[in-house]
Amino acid sequence: MAVATAVHGCYFPSKINSLSLPLKITGQIKQSSPPPPIFISTNPAHVNLHHLKDLYTLCNHSCHRFPNVDHTGKVEAVDVGKLRTAIFHSSIVVTVFTKPEFVTGHSSPVEVTNLMGIGGDWIKRVMPVTPDDGLLVGFGRAVSDFGLTASIYDVMVFPALQGRGIGRMIVQKIVRMLTNRDIYDIAALCSGKERLFFRACGFGDDILGSTTMMYTRNSSYSIDEKTISVGRKQLLVPLQETS
Amino acid sequence: MPNYCTVVLPTALKLYPPIVSLDCRCQVFYSLQFPLNLNFRLRRGSRNQKVSQLKAGFWESIRSGILKNNTTQVIEPPTTTEEEEDPLSEEFVLVERTLPDDTVEKIIFSSGGNVDVYDLQALCDKVGWPRRPLTKLAAALRNSYMVATLHSVKKSAGEEGNDQKKLIGMARATSDHAFNATIWDVIVDPSYQGQGLGRALIEKLIRALLQRDIGNISLFADSKVVEFYQNLGFEPDPEGIKGMFWYPKY
Repeated sequence: MAVATAVHGCYFPSKINSLSLPLKITGQIKQSSPPPPIFISTNPAHVNLHHLKDLYTLCNHSCHRFPNVDHTGKVEAVDVGKLRTAIFHSSIVVTVFTKPEFVTGHSSPVEVTNLMGIGGDWIKRVMPVTPDDGLLVGFGRAVSDFGLTASIYDVMVFPALQGRGIGRMIVQKIVRMLTNRDIYDIAALCSGKERLFFRACGFGDDILGSTTMMYTRNSSYSIDEKTISVGRKQLLVPLQETS
Repeated sequence: MPNYCTVVLPTALKLYPPIVSLDCRCQVFYSLQFPLNLNFRLRRGSRNQKVSQLKAGFWESIRSGILKNNTTQVIEPPTTTEEEEDPLSEEFVLVERTLPDDTVEKIIFSSGGNVDVYDLQALCDKVGWPRRPLTKLAAALRNSYMVATLHSVKKSAGEEGNDQKKLIGMARATSDHAFNATIWDVIVDPSYQGQGLGRALIEKLIRALLQRDIGNISLFADSKVVEFYQNLGFEPDPEGIKGMFWYPKY
């Protein structure tokens, strides 16, 4: 789908792709431009932890569901050690790279060197993106038990490139990999803003009508209570049972 | 006479291994079904075995050699995995009581994950859950971060060596070992419900997860058990966070 739109040069919501509504994250009714040339990888070896940490900060995304938010609205930085553990144990890791010029700005200076000759920077434009020379602009991961269920976490796209279908490509990639392994029970926890995004990707409320619940107990009002701080919550650790 | 020669092609070539207990690691099965997926890293028995090393793909090593600009970073596995392994598998007696017919019943909690899939299937039938394929169930148990079980062991008075061991409860959690965990499949035998056993199972799971700093513990509760989980400290839709599920569109 991405290749087709790039060739046509604009985005037609065609009848064939009936589920591809233009991705309206901003909520404005406008034709979203097609995504820039990107390289989607599912190889965890392509993840550069420091770039990923920067992406988390740029997207203002936190791994904690209830993060500490400072006065400017920015969430706390992600712990690199824990992030490494999380990625190592994630069943599916999707990373999206693009050429730096699409992120920094479209007017990249034309470099005329002796070697370019007649082509100018045509060669540079035609060369495909690789994880080594591209910038990390999108990420998504999923945790699964490879039998029955899976959960998608931390889907994010560089803010300047949002609304162009990259996020949806990430989710579709994850879903495709899971359905290829016969896993159809795919869940995603999302806040209000993310709900619109996931709905556009084909997610909906549970047909069985289950309620999503999270552990948030913070106090037992007893003297010997132990709490763990997770983001801005202090969660109570249940007491050890002695029988 | 026309010669009918029919060729039957297997339409869905799914190679299921013979159904055995969970001790068989089924490695062959996975390598047959996903031969080209070098990214897929099988996590075998995370509870009692070391996590397998990440192997870079064959073409990746060729490419990085050719490109000479070798900035590919391989994710190093986390250095210590010992602290997760020992406390994670514990076993102890939760309740011990004497029944009217003088047999002593012990209810044993175990988080080692020794579940017989057939026992679990029978328990699910008792509770009235829909049947799920046994291989999928076995795979799900094997790859869960933690599987907590309750067994009832009955020793009849006067007879030696005649224990009856029965699976009466189970709960499992999947996790990325760092931030998020989801609890699935909480089940207690109907004849043992209402005694606080389910509560004990969940509290153990929560305790184990929080002690490893895994703070986002979530689950998807049926409408009938929302109150049960509320009493355990779970909040429905906290701050507007809801779970969404994928629906295939054709």
